[in-house]
Amino acid sequence: MTLQECYAAMGGNYEDAIGRLRSERLVRKFVLKFLDDGSFDLLCRSLEEKNYEEAFRAAHTIKGVCQNLSMDKLQASSSRLCESLRNGYTPEAGALAEEVTADYHATMDAIRAFQKESTE
Amino acid sequence: MKKLLNNATRFLTVSLALVLLLTVCIFSFLAYFMVHKSNETISTVGTTYMSGMGEKVTQHFATTIELRLSQVDALVKSFPELDGPSASLRSDLTFNAKARDFESLAFYSSSGEFDMIYGDPPTLSNPEPFLASMNNGDKKVAVADTNHGERDVILGVSAEYTMSNGETSTALVASLPADYIAETLSLYSETSLVYSHIIRRDGTFVIRSGGAYRENYFDRIQALFEEQGESGEQCIRELEAAMDAGEDYTALLTLGSERRHLQCNKLPYSEWFLVTVLPYGQLDETVSDLGRASLYLAFLCCAVVLAALLLVFLQYSKILREQMAELDKARKEAIHANKAKSEFLSNMSHDIRTPMNAIVGMTAIATANIDDKQQVQNCLKKITLSSRHLLGLINDVLDMSKIESGKLTLNMDQISLREVMDSIVSIAQPQVRSKHQQFDVFIHDISTENVCCDSVRLNQVLLNILGNALKFTPDGGLIQVSLYEEESPKGEGYVRTHIVVKDNGIGMTPEFKEKIFESFVREDSARVRRTEGSGLGMAITKYIVDTMGGTIEVESELGKGSEFHVTLDLQRAETPEEEMILPEWNILVVDDDQQLCESTAASLKSIGVRADWALTAEGALEMLERRASIRDNYHIILLDWKLPDMDGISAAREIRRRFGEETPIMLISAYDWSEIETEARDAGITGFISKPLFRSTLFYGLKPFIDASGTSEELVHEERYADFTGRRILLAEDNDLNWEIASELLSDLGLELDWAENGKLCVEKFQASSPGFYDAILMDLRMPVMTGYEATEAIRKLDRPDKNIPIIAMTADAFSEDIKKCLDAGMNAHVAKPIDIREVSRLLEKFIHEYHHGE
Repeated sequence: MTLQECYAAMGGNYEDAIGRLRSERLVRKFVLKFLDDGSFDLLCRSLEEKNYEEAFRAAHTIKGVCQNLSMDKLQASSSRLCESLRNGYTPEAGALAEEVTADYHATMDAIRAFQKESTE
Repeated sequence: MKKLLNNATRFLTVSLALVLLLTVCIFSFLAYFMVHKSNETISTVGTTYMSGMGEKVTQHFATTIELRLSQVDALVKSFPELDGPSASLRSDLTFNAKARDFESLAFYSSSGEFDMIYGDPPTLSNPEPFLASMNNGDKKVAVADTNHGERDVILGVSAEYTMSNGETSTALVASLPADYIAETLSLYSETSLVYSHIIRRDGTFVIRSGGAYRENYFDRIQALFEEQGESGEQCIRELEAAMDAGEDYTALLTLGSERRHLQCNKLPYSEWFLVTVLPYGQLDETVSDLGRASLYLAFLCCAVVLAALLLVFLQYSKILREQMAELDKARKEAIHANKAKSEFLSNMSHDIRTPMNAIVGMTAIATANIDDKQQVQNCLKKITLSSRHLLGLINDVLDMSKIESGKLTLNMDQISLREVMDSIVSIAQPQVRSKHQQFDVFIHDISTENVCCDSVRLNQVLLNILGNALKFTPDGGLIQVSLYEEESPKGEGYVRTHIVVKDNGIGMTPEFKEKIFESFVREDSARVRRTEGSGLGMAITKYIVDTMGGTIEVESELGKGSEFHVTLDLQRAETPEEEMILPEWNILVVDDDQQLCESTAASLKSIGVRADWALTAEGALEMLERRASIRDNYHIILLDWKLPDMDGISAAREIRRRFGEETPIMLISAYDWSEIETEARDAGITGFISKPLFRSTLFYGLKPFIDASGTSEELVHEERYADFTGRRILLAEDNDLNWEIASELLSDLGLELDWAENGKLCVEKFQASSPGFYDAILMDLRMPVMTGYEATEAIRKLDRPDKNIPIIAMTADAFSEDIKKCLDAGMNAHVAKPIDIREVSRLLEKFIHEYHHGE
């Protein structure tokens, strides 16, 4: 699986990412680093604890990272969640969080698949 | 309205009539009063005069009588009877009496008989009182008739003389003619109005004057009254009563139209009364002349006042009519505006519903075909179009409501006309392309590119006009935009800027042209039914241009096209324009528009380039040929895309074929370059410069050739890619992945970065550094422990020389309120995530530069 295919699988914009980071090496480096990013765990934890302020920040961070890496799909859903939490809890946050979770897992799966193939 | 006017007119007419009547009454009363008053005054004057007159005459009478009596007395004293009757005494008396003009002289016996010394014997009219007075030893005057029928006044003084019959006389009596008394007293004169009579108590005349012929004055009065059919008894009784009482009597007799004043005084030394009469006849005439004069004057004044009133009334009524007409007009306008608004509202509701329906319908279709990607995409495309259209409508309505409530204001800023034109050209290009329209932009006589104006509103104006031109010009039509400047009448600091947008589209009817700038108007005919729009565009445009202090004019002919001409007096921007100098090249400009060629040549000359121009490709080739023959080739060729004999690309191909690859050829056009780029490059065209050709457009378009040409050693302005070597940045970012990305990208610029994981650490790290260690801070906003806002505020509050270090926010939120919040917190600028390295580098360069040079 190429990095390009990985981006296609996660619903990202590879050209955009290359345009920003200017080399495939960097894109690959950061994409793989995304696997270690703790923001999503923080998001889940905060939502469980009903600490919506923290959850908002976590969603915001995910959004920021996704923007930088042009992971458009996850960025879109995290952005929506972020907005729903901007001024505290709103009823649609739950559904949006599920969406984020789905997108996150899809993204993670794509990256893991890519990681697996590229290290082989 | 008509009724109101009639009411007002009726009211005015009635009031005018009443005022006229009142005026006439007042003046009549005034006239009457004056006449009456003058009559009264005359009477008063008459009374005063008459009583004075009466007294005077009475005194005069008294003096005269006293004089005469004393003369008689003197006779008695001078010639006393000493020793009986003697002849000498009589002759002495006679001599002396004649010397004193006495008519006769006589001794008077106590029995009332006369012993004449000389003269005719008198016959006393009323001897008893006289005799009694004489016997009493008094002095007295009486009247007597002589034998000759004359009337004499007899003066008696007591004296004892022996009379011829031997008796002793009781008095010496002398007589004077009654006329003498009348004359002496001036009882009657031709020249005077006044005449007097002397009467006795019973009314009989002693001395008559004037036209009196009766024996009794009372009879005369009675007769005078009877002539007028009235009775004089009242008057006579009053007169008699006054006589009895010995008082003076004054009365005003009115005999018909004639008035007489009557004055009666008692005369001394006699039983007589003086009656003085003043007829007012002539006085009355004089007075009535005066009265008439004042009456005429009053009526004249009245007439003048009336005329003035009438004039005022007419003027007022005229003004009233005008006002009414104005009012009527205003009312009709209001009704019209209201109607237009209602119509607009109903149109608008329809217009809003149409795209809304499309959005709702397309959404439903998309939902139903959620798996058919093609279908969904198609629906989304239509939804996007419809919502954009809807947004446009709503924006227009909002703008209009802003305008109607007077809330539209201009944000004056320094703008570049080049940028304005570039932006509208690039916006127009897609539509021009899709409708295959011919689109041209002309500029000439541009003295100032940078001016002060509200760029958003100016763009709105131009896009409205240009949008209409594009919209109402059919496929293949021609649209021209011209921009030129001239001196402004507002002075040195301003430049008059003309923008003309001309098309050969469907044009307008003259009726519609009249109303085009009105709100809520849209030409409602089959021709434009299908064309969308709120109908507010031109009203908004007009309003903006008005607010900018400019004018907008429109020329249009149905079926021939329209021309909009905007004239603005714009302030020249204060900052001097960048010095733009190119090497001394020779450049050939090829364009079919002579004005453009001349203007471009002039612009090129102003930036140090010599320019020739040709109107056709053929002409250009000839000029190139000539140059080639003298081995002085042009350095650069500017070639229009569309030329009359061959298009620019063919021309370029021909140039390349005949003169080789050496000379750069730049294509100039208002069209989108991207479409023809491949073909153009294949034909040997080096690059592209977009019309309109401002000086700066030319400068920046041609600048890249400075190096290539190698003719100039001075490099005017190197395209700098910011070099931040040695610059140190503190980056606050809580996410390590984001930090790594930023670090990776920014390190490439030569920046050294330190990482702060949250706001608090950022403040601490900054605080711990030596002043001036960091050149800037990049600040994430959403961080745990301390947000970017708080951190910025904390840093700004530090007591450090470098507390004003540039702080640039980096955030995934790009809402304008966030930006405002950043600036409020004390940050210098804001950059949106994802990191755009060019933008970050630009901002860093700007603020670091300012920071170091501003210190």
